[in-house]
Amino acid sequence: MAPLIEATGLVKEFRRPRRDSGLTGALKHLVTRRFDIHRAVDGIDLRVGEGESVAYAGPNGAGKSTTVKLLTGILVPTAGEVRVAGVVPHRDRIANAKNVGVVFGQRTQLWWDLPVGDTFELLRDMYRIPAADYRRSLGRLTEVLEIGPLLPVLARKLSLGQRMRADLAAALLHQPHILYLDEPTIGLDLDVKDRVRTFLRQLVADGTTILLTTHDIGDIEEVCGRIVVIDEGRIRHDGPVEVLRDALASASSVRFQLSASAPLDLIRERLGDAEVTAPGERELVVRFDRTTRTAGAVAATVMGLVEVRDLRINDEGIADLIRRIHRPDEVTARSGAA
Amino acid sequence: MRPYRAMARLAWRNALAYRVPFLMSLSMLVFNLAAMFALWQALLSDGNSLAGFTWPQMKAYLLVSFVTNCLVSTFTDFAMASRIRSGAVAVDLVKPVDYQKGRFAEALGFALLETTAALVVCTVVLVAFGGVPWPSPGQLALFAASLLAVVPLKFLIVYMCGLLCFWTQNYLGISLARTAISGILSGATVPLVFFPPWLRHVAEVLPFQAITNTPAMLFLGRSPGLSAVSALAVQILWVVGLWWLARRLWHVAVRRLTVHGG
Repeated sequence: MAPLIEATGLVKEFRRPRRDSGLTGALKHLVTRRFDIHRAVDGIDLRVGEGESVAYAGPNGAGKSTTVKLLTGILVPTAGEVRVAGVVPHRDRIANAKNVGVVFGQRTQLWWDLPVGDTFELLRDMYRIPAADYRRSLGRLTEVLEIGPLLPVLARKLSLGQRMRADLAAALLHQPHILYLDEPTIGLDLDVKDRVRTFLRQLVADGTTILLTTHDIGDIEEVCGRIVVIDEGRIRHDGPVEVLRDALASASSVRFQLSASAPLDLIRERLGDAEVTAPGERELVVRFDRTTRTAGAVAATVMGLVEVRDLRINDEGIADLIRRIHRPDEVTARSGAA
Repeated sequence: MRPYRAMARLAWRNALAYRVPFLMSLSMLVFNLAAMFALWQALLSDGNSLAGFTWPQMKAYLLVSFVTNCLVSTFTDFAMASRIRSGAVAVDLVKPVDYQKGRFAEALGFALLETTAALVVCTVVLVAFGGVPWPSPGQLALFAASLLAVVPLKFLIVYMCGLLCFWTQNYLGISLARTAISGILSGATVPLVFFPPWLRHVAEVLPFQAITNTPAMLFLGRSPGLSAVSALAVQILWVVGLWWLARRLWHVAVRRLTVHGG
């Protein structure tokens, strides 16, 4: 079966005006305009099958949002191709809009000065949803998102959590096959985050394909089956969330504060396959596989070689793993040690 | 049609939510009208006529010009410009509606409110300052048709100016320039007959004159017979031509869209 979302060699470049600071800089910019080309997305290949739930993770400015805007047809790619359910989104916006729902965590699609219910009715007419379907869809969404009491409220009077739930409903009224979410839980408190995630899990179970960008590990672990990590516009990692979680299950680390600088080579020699790094001059981090050695053995080895002032034992979370994927230098350090 | 009808309806309701800024901008136009009335009354009230304008005819001209000034003026452009600048336009782009038709539908919703307000002001002025020469039924029909054509025409000019925000990221300057150019070349400030010949020729080949000059001349019956029909035809040709041009401009403009963050 052909993938539902298909991007090939996707590139997006922005032109940024380059302007020196101060008055002279401003004047110079008036006469000679210079631009820097910034490649926000740099050759991305992505295939998402029907019913998948994909997390699109990466640091700020990595190109996550830009990719979503290319996939939704908001931005026109500089190079490469996108096909979503057989449609080229930026060329046939209307056909694409009917297949997809989009939620921007930092932007609302509600009419700011009108009651939420008015926006919903506008969307009903915009998507030409038949009356019976609309009633069913609205009924289901108001129930699971608990937004019944919000319908007569002006959108600008909503709290962030309420707004987010109303926005989710607005994106789903026409029952799209694909839902894009750009940072859907940003700024929400734990309780609301939890409800949003439960709701998204339910959508996935019902067969909706989801692609969400996030900084939040909870979103990834609780909603998604697959994680794609992007940095500087390129895909750094792509695989099932489970594999990552399994790797984590056995990963552990000990962080040492030392009285003197550490004899790194000696420690590496004694600890064999464990990863030894020195983030600071009198600091030492040892990452190791919990199934082959114990924290106690690691600590004893280090303490036999150098005086230890303090130590902390950590389980690694997905956050640490993603961070390591983001930081190629640490990854190189590890492969150098192995 | 259903999506666009709904958009027009919602735009109208949204305009009601903004009644205070609406009334403020309307009052600006009313003050302007009052100033023009005072000026022309001083020039014409003792039975003089200038370039063929008597005081009652000039009153009619000023009222038509006031109505065409009200139409598509208050909401469409700034609302659209701020959505482009803030990046909220991203949300509009994932809706199953044509962008240009959607904005036009909204402009029509606002126009309903603008027309109502303009008619109220006209009635008050007519009661206060006395009557104007009333056109024959034929002239009145042509005038009504041309007033209807003013809505898409003015919308398209405003819409294209709004699209320039994809390049400039600042709208105030564009809006002020548009208002000034359109105000002069449409005949809204001074009737075209008072222009020096060269400026009049320039104005006649541009679309702006179809905004105020055409409906005003039709109301006053100054374009007799066939020339009245051809004035209307020119107006409609401008609407068709600019609709096409605005589409081309949109396709170029949307490629320049950059939406940062969120």
